[in-house]
Amino acid sequence: MNQAIRELQSLESLSKEDRWVNNLHPLVKLFVTALFLVLTVSFDKYNLAGLLSMAVYPLVTFTIADLSFADALKRLRYVLPIVCVVGIFNPFFDRDIVMQVGSLAVSGGVLSMLTLMGKAILTVLAGYLLIATTSMERICLGLRMLHVPSLLVTEILLIYRYLTVLLKETRRVTNSYALRAPGQKGIHISAWGSLAGLLLLRSMDRAERLYESMQIRGFHGEFYTGRQESMKKADWIYLAVWTAVLCALRFLPLTAVLGGWIA
Amino acid sequence: MSHIHINLDHVTFSYGKGQPVLNDLCLSAAEHDSIGIIGANGVGKSTLLKLLVGLELPDQGEIRIEEIPLKKQTLQKIREKIGYVFQDSESQLFMTTVEEDVAFAPRNYGLPEEEVSRRVDAALKRVHIEHLKGKSIYRLSGGEKKLVSIATILSMTPDIILMDEPSVALDPQNRRNLIHIIREFEHLKMIASHDLDFIWDTCERTILMNDGRIVWDGPTEEIMRNEKLLTENGLELPLSLSRR
Ligand SMILES: Nc1ncnc2c1ncn2[C@@H]1O[C@H](COP(=O)(O)OP(=O)(O)OP(=O)(O)O)[C@@H](O)[C@H]1O
Ligand SMILES: [Mg+2]
Repeated sequence: MNQAIRELQSLESLSKEDRWVNNLHPLVKLFVTALFLVLTVSFDKYNLAGLLSMAVYPLVTFTIADLSFADALKRLRYVLPIVCVVGIFNPFFDRDIVMQVGSLAVSGGVLSMLTLMGKAILTVLAGYLLIATTSMERICLGLRMLHVPSLLVTEILLIYRYLTVLLKETRRVTNSYALRAPGQKGIHISAWGSLAGLLLLRSMDRAERLYESMQIRGFHGEFYTGRQESMKKADWIYLAVWTAVLCALRFLPLTAVLGGWIA
Repeated sequence: MSHIHINLDHVTFSYGKGQPVLNDLCLSAAEHDSIGIIGANGVGKSTLLKLLVGLELPDQGEIRIEEIPLKKQTLQKIREKIGYVFQDSESQLFMTTVEEDVAFAPRNYGLPEEEVSRRVDAALKRVHIEHLKGKSIYRLSGGEKKLVSIATILSMTPDIILMDEPSVALDPQNRRNLIHIIREFEHLKMIASHDLDFIWDTCERTILMNDGRIVWDGPTEEIMRNEKLLTENGLELPLSLSRR
């Protein structure tokens, strides 16, 4: 629990560091991320090679943003296994052999499973990169610039804040339980119901007060990050380069070309 | 006649359908008043302050702030004038770092960035927590959170300050400093607290509440020496007096 809170915090402080990727306009990053997601997901289910080439985006972004890949894997350690499960039954349904790797025959099912896993992992990584380089307030600001209704954007921000509140309340409740039930492992099942109920009420209460605190300090659904939020040259370049690269990876038969060179 | 004032006219309020928490309350406060609100636990002190910033709206009666009736439509205007420090400072802070949290209000008022950062620095300096500027909210101690939440309202440069238990969790030095800050604040201030010595040091006028009503309203000096009245209402003489 403590660790979850700490990781959320460290992710947030990561997004606030003064690095040039962080300082890019939030809209640009939102757009590139969205484009990446759409293009990645749109790959044919057998096109594993093509899909792998999309890994260029996370690899390069991790490098230029100076983010630690190991940290990312550590933070995503619960999410990644779950998303990897998605294609797990494909090999049973689709047994036609589509490829021969050395003496190993690869069935369509295995290939589509790998492709699906690849898509899921890339999606998660792209999401992580967005969050790690852009604070929630700036993402919300970007969404507002796209004329997403302010009610919806406020909702997103509040849910995000609520997550921290919920985690902290959970820690408090479990701590106070543990202190009064020494020598007991975990929480006895008889207390689950009341603890969960209490947790819900308390965290809702806290979230409401947070919102009140925002309101009395002049919050009306608009976001101010205190930065000059207009597109600069770097933003346009970042946007243009990634749009070109991602589209090229998706639509040009790059793997065939590369394969041709090697052969 | 001074400008900045508060007027409550027969205000009644209850949470949901329960017993009224505030019962037919009348109160008026003028620009330079410093008002302490005292009373036992659960008598409605925090509720009264919440009504004044419109976090709750009265069931009956009317509240006027600087002659503006407090209604849904006027909330924004009124809230810009009032700085309110929550009883529970944990719930008051929500940004990642101290600096951002203190800058939240001035940014929302659309001030230019130099002015925002000037106000942030001034507010932090005033509560003597410049060293916490870049710190993560998550890593603050209880008393530091209290000081930061006070800074978040000072950066609004409000006309009126309302504080709910401001001295709780502060060490003696910070408590003394807060007394100075409150004394320096020249406009209207209302402070709800169980710390009678603190009230005595900061407020000239005191309101004693019991059961959602105002039982006594007058000079702080007088009530603090009135042991009978205090004990009848679940309180005790201030420490500084009872020791003598
Ligand atoms: N959100 C709420 N919903 C329902 N009842 C509430 C709520 N908040 C407070 N009350 C009730 O209203 C009454 C007055 O509460 P209030 O918080 O104003 O008291 P207080 O004078 O500030 O007490 P304390 O000295 O303990 O801070 C209490 O009986 C309390 O139980
Ligand atoms: Mg209270």
